[in-house]
Amino acid sequence: MGLFSSLIQRKFKDIAGKRYERILKEYRDFLLTEEEMVLPEIKSVLIPLDRFIGEIPVEVYETLSAYRDAKFVLLYIIDIHVSYMIEQTLGVEASEEFKKKEKEEGMKLLGKISRNFEALGINPQLRLFFGDKSRDIISLAQKHDLLVLSKAYGSEITKTHPLSPVVLKIVQHVNIPVIVY
Amino acid sequence: MTPETVAVAVFLFTYALVVSEKIHRAVAAMFGASVILFLKIVPWENIPKYLDLNTLFLLMGMMIIVNTARNSGLFEYVAIKTAKLAHGSPIRVLLLFSIVTAVISSVLDNVTTVLLLTPMLLYISRLMELSPIPFLLSEIFASNIGGTATLIGDPPNIMIGSAAKLSFNEFLINMGPIAAIDLGVTILIIYLAYNNALKVTPKKKVMIIQTLRGLDEKAAIRDIRLFRKSVAIILFVVALFFLHDRLGIEPAVVALFGASLILLWTREDPEGIFEKIEWPALFFFGGLFIIVGALEETGTIAKVAEWVLTHVHTQGEALLVITWFSAFSSAIVDNIPLTAAMIPLIKHMGASMNVYPLWWALSLGACLGGNGTAIGASANVVVIGIAEREDVRITFVDFLKVGMIIMIITVAIGVGILWIRYVGW
Repeated sequence: MGLFSSLIQRKFKDIAGKRYERILKEYRDFLLTEEEMVLPEIKSVLIPLDRFIGEIPVEVYETLSAYRDAKFVLLYIIDIHVSYMIEQTLGVEASEEFKKKEKEEGMKLLGKISRNFEALGINPQLRLFFGDKSRDIISLAQKHDLLVLSKAYGSEITKTHPLSPVVLKIVQHVNIPVIVY
Repeated sequence: MTPETVAVAVFLFTYALVVSEKIHRAVAAMFGASVILFLKIVPWENIPKYLDLNTLFLLMGMMIIVNTARNSGLFEYVAIKTAKLAHGSPIRVLLLFSIVTAVISSVLDNVTTVLLLTPMLLYISRLMELSPIPFLLSEIFASNIGGTATLIGDPPNIMIGSAAKLSFNEFLINMGPIAAIDLGVTILIIYLAYNNALKVTPKKKVMIIQTLRGLDEKAAIRDIRLFRKSVAIILFVVALFFLHDRLGIEPAVVALFGASLILLWTREDPEGIFEKIEWPALFFFGGLFIIVGALEETGTIAKVAEWVLTHVHTQGEALLVITWFSAFSSAIVDNIPLTAAMIPLIKHMGASMNVYPLWWALSLGACLGGNGTAIGASANVVVIGIAEREDVRITFVDFLKVGMIIMIITVAIGVGILWIRYVGW
């Protein structure tokens, strides 16, 4: 330590005492650490959608626009279990009707969200299939760097249950960053 | 050895100890004062004459208010809010943090202000992946400039205000405009000097905004009721400072009233708050008052004043000499002992000239002189010390290159304004 450094540190100790350590500790409670501050490199973003999601908030679009160069996948999964249950209880015809309506609704939502992304200069890939929402997303998430999920994905949310159980299961099983909006 | 020689020797010895920092400045001042009292150079009954209680109680009152308010998270809230308002732009960070630092420093002590804002500035610079040096330098200069603006902004101003019976409003009218212009000029100089180091890519800017958006300023508030009460009391105390001369009460009474009110209203643990009072600073002041009192008691100050008056004939000359002498001296040594020694000198000069403008000259030089070198003011030492702990090196020469230019320009602007106002064209 040079002469100047030791003089500064001596003076600093005299003037500030232990106040700085206390202030630093208080700041650490709510500021990100060096490690947390390093933003992960995002090359691929997975955005699952379903009938419980009407719209993606503007703030999420703004956040995602930072990853303009990444590949975006808008994914609409129609619950295969629901379709099976309808087939078992109401018959094949009702099940086919459900699938048709779900597909239409899915394509409509994918188109609407896709246009919003295109307005930001992002051209997302669109995918729609029948499957198990939580299992398929957990599996697909391995091929992506960021998962963007609505709190209402897979189930309606209420005041007493502000987070869908499907979302809870997904976030507990994926090991990539997740934005829950 | 005559009492006069002893008084001068103790003064110089204490000064040397303070400058060398070999022992704590409070201990140096206490030891010097003890020697003076032991040798009866200042008789015991004359202590109240030299021990400026107005300064001591004003400092103490403000320390109580600040320490109580700090518990609420008020200052962290302001720091995060300011960071968010900058919207990821380095120039805005520079501008907003400089203004916020100057405004807070004009009401609270500079050390507390920079201690609370520097961690946030370092955090934002890391986020922007830019060198924090321009931001830290700007914070230092803004703090010293902001402190110049008011009676309670900087200890030399408190001492000058108390000795010359100057009101809060007189300080604001005389020093406020100088501080505002100096702040603008300083930010401009920093911007021009570090223009290339204040750029981020648009992509990075979006990332910064997002990260800052993730910071919740409300999370910094540890106690919302204390937060609201602290804001109310600080505003009330500032309002009382504006009115103290009309009400005929001393600034120290305003500070102590505010301090007792905040403790009474918030019910914060008084023991904890009293422990946080910077007693070493208060003992440093107390000791210095006695040491300088010895110079006055023995007639040394009167002789120096006479000598100065034989060489300085007009008010204009005195204005220039006091401003530049105190500015360059403050850049090298602590401005508190300098101000303590200059006050009785100016008082003695009052016998043969109107010294009213000279108080402003002293305030200008003592406060802004601190910007000249890295060790010129406490705020400089604190910011550079924090930066060093975070592996950001600001060397003495690095600081001097910018600091000396800023000091000369800001003091020149100030002295120009004072000259126009009190000496004329």
